[in-house]
Amino acid sequence: MIDAERLKILTESAKYDVSCSSSGSRRANTKGGIGNASVGGICHSFTPDGRCISLLKILMSNRCSYNCLYCPNRAEADVPRASATPDELCELVIAFYKRNYIEGLFLSSAVEGSPDRTMERMLDTVIRLRKVYRFNGYIHLKGIPMADRALVSRAAQYVDRMSYNVELPSEKSLRLLAPQKTKESVLLPMKQLFLEKKAAGEEKGKNRKIFLPAGQTTQLIVGASPESDGQILKLSEAMYRRFSLKRVYYSSYVPVVRHSLLPDRCTGLLREHRLYQADWLMRFYGFDADEIAKEGENLPEEYDPKCAWALRNMQFFPVEINTAPLEKLLRVPGIGTLGAYKIIKARKFAKLDFSDLAKMRIVLKRAKFFITCGGKFYGSDNYDTVKTALMLEERSEKYEQLSLFSTPETSLSVHTGQL
Amino acid sequence: MNVYITDGTENCFYTAVFNACTDKDCIVTSSCAVQLPLGANVVAVTADGEKCTRVKKKLNEYAPHALKDIPLLLRRGCANKEQTALEYIRLIMEKKAPVKDMLSHPAVIAATEEMRKVTLEAHRFTGFLRFMEGSGGIFYAPFEPDNDILELILPHFIRRLKNQPFVIHDTIRGKAALYNMRECAIVHTDKKVNVVLSDCEDAFQKLWKEYYESVNIAQRPHEKQMKGYMPVRYWKYMPEKH
Ligand code: SF4
Repeated sequence: MIDAERLKILTESAKYDVSCSSSGSRRANTKGGIGNASVGGICHSFTPDGRCISLLKILMSNRCSYNCLYCPNRAEADVPRASATPDELCELVIAFYKRNYIEGLFLSSAVEGSPDRTMERMLDTVIRLRKVYRFNGYIHLKGIPMADRALVSRAAQYVDRMSYNVELPSEKSLRLLAPQKTKESVLLPMKQLFLEKKAAGEEKGKNRKIFLPAGQTTQLIVGASPESDGQILKLSEAMYRRFSLKRVYYSSYVPVVRHSLLPDRCTGLLREHRLYQADWLMRFYGFDADEIAKEGENLPEEYDPKCAWALRNMQFFPVEINTAPLEKLLRVPGIGTLGAYKIIKARKFAKLDFSDLAKMRIVLKRAKFFITCGGKFYGSDNYDTVKTALMLEERSEKYEQLSLFSTPETSLSVHTGQL
Repeated sequence: MNVYITDGTENCFYTAVFNACTDKDCIVTSSCAVQLPLGANVVAVTADGEKCTRVKKKLNEYAPHALKDIPLLLRRGCANKEQTALEYIRLIMEKKAPVKDMLSHPAVIAATEEMRKVTLEAHRFTGFLRFMEGSGGIFYAPFEPDNDILELILPHFIRRLKNQPFVIHDTIRGKAALYNMRECAIVHTDKKVNVVLSDCEDAFQKLWKEYYESVNIAQRPHEKQMKGYMPVRYWKYMPEKH
């Protein structure tokens, strides 16, 4: 059994990877096996920082031969080192899983020796977990940049999700802060996996294999380097489009390491939150990155990106609740995806007025400036009044809202980050 | 005014509905804690197969979704659950059609919200339930849900842990699911049972607590959010919170 000391070393630095989602896979249990994957994802606990624990996030080893400046485990750092054997990890996963502590494993590693060597050990763990321990729960494997292509494809046949973390949003920052990594070493395997998954999906009948059912994700560190929000969103958009990523995670920078090239303060959570909101707009509301923030711009702090967009585009408003098509409803500040679908259903039965919307728990504080109900309008024609009202609204709620990043993508409305 | 008292079962509720549906301002409840209004006429209902079938048949004819919704509503752990269900049924009988999408109607709003509370709690417990390994290799998980959700979470755990014998125990309602890798039975139990734990149980609980400690980002406290997602009343059986 792994000892508490090593568990601590190997999990403490894995926690900065914010991806904790266990959603997107419906792997079934097998004969004589243990576990399955739940498509909506499940949170098993929440830590005092408000984040969800879904997976056992652990490193195989923190002995690194690389020197990424921001990383506590970089080769030059003087920190306690440890590693775990594949069997120790498998045993721990099974023991935790049987007690319903976790949905599965998130396995990562420092580059110990060479990338190939590291990836081989991770692959060994994963295969053992599936074949010897007959584990059918969720596995998320972090890819090691520059490992052999064949190892990458092989791993993808056993795990539910893989991620290569871009970490720094521009090549320049990457060169500066993570000198041994290159943009290609991260983007090429992403592309490879995207193409292989596509090919696997086109196979018919018996040849069809499970291949990375929960797809790929990546993470960007926000605030360690100078890129603007607009630039970050553009990059995310490109990755969503080119590699069909399931998600981009934004991790606001926490200084664990001091260095003259790095900021010595945490990036505000508000910035991270705004990026998640903007990301949401791209994924579920049909917005382009360009509409949300231009290349060199940052997202406004005073109100959410949807409000900001609406204020710039007042010519589209107000829209009539009883007749507007779904795409237009989705663009109304304060009406989320859930609200929009509710409206579409309910208006088939009865004409809706403002009090109906309130009864349906659709929050009107922001929306009222952008909608009419049966021709009635309770907003204001004065642009500055609207702007001030939205800002005040936002200020009163700010601290309630910093919550999107920690939840898995469940179908539950409390978790969907309605804008 | 008539007050129909049921025994809490579904069949008894449908039997009560048979009369209550057209009995304008009556109350249907299974709770003995209900304050009876002045001049109330108490009707103790016993399940009647015939009446029950007729109500269900009508529901099935007008709004098949109701046969799933009503049992869910009756799992709510609050005293007026029957009343919410009754209003919902009345609307179906009036419209003679499915009503679940009439999202601006008060009866539908109330029913939808109550159902959501039940399914939300069931979803949460698929994550928050904690098993401990007994010395005989049987895994034991006690829990205290607000709603009667044992049967709702059971299929999930049987699928997931089908090769692991387990007991899930609702210690509030005194009932437990016993699963032996072939079949599953639900039995009435005491509210407290003693379980002898396996030798390694303590060690794994300690590792789990260690893990819980070390994944927290201490520079970023947000207790309020933690408690919002994981209410304190659920902590009782979670080793990481002790
Ligand atoms: S590769 Fe870079 S980020 Fe990863 S463990 Fe090594 S130093 Fe840290």
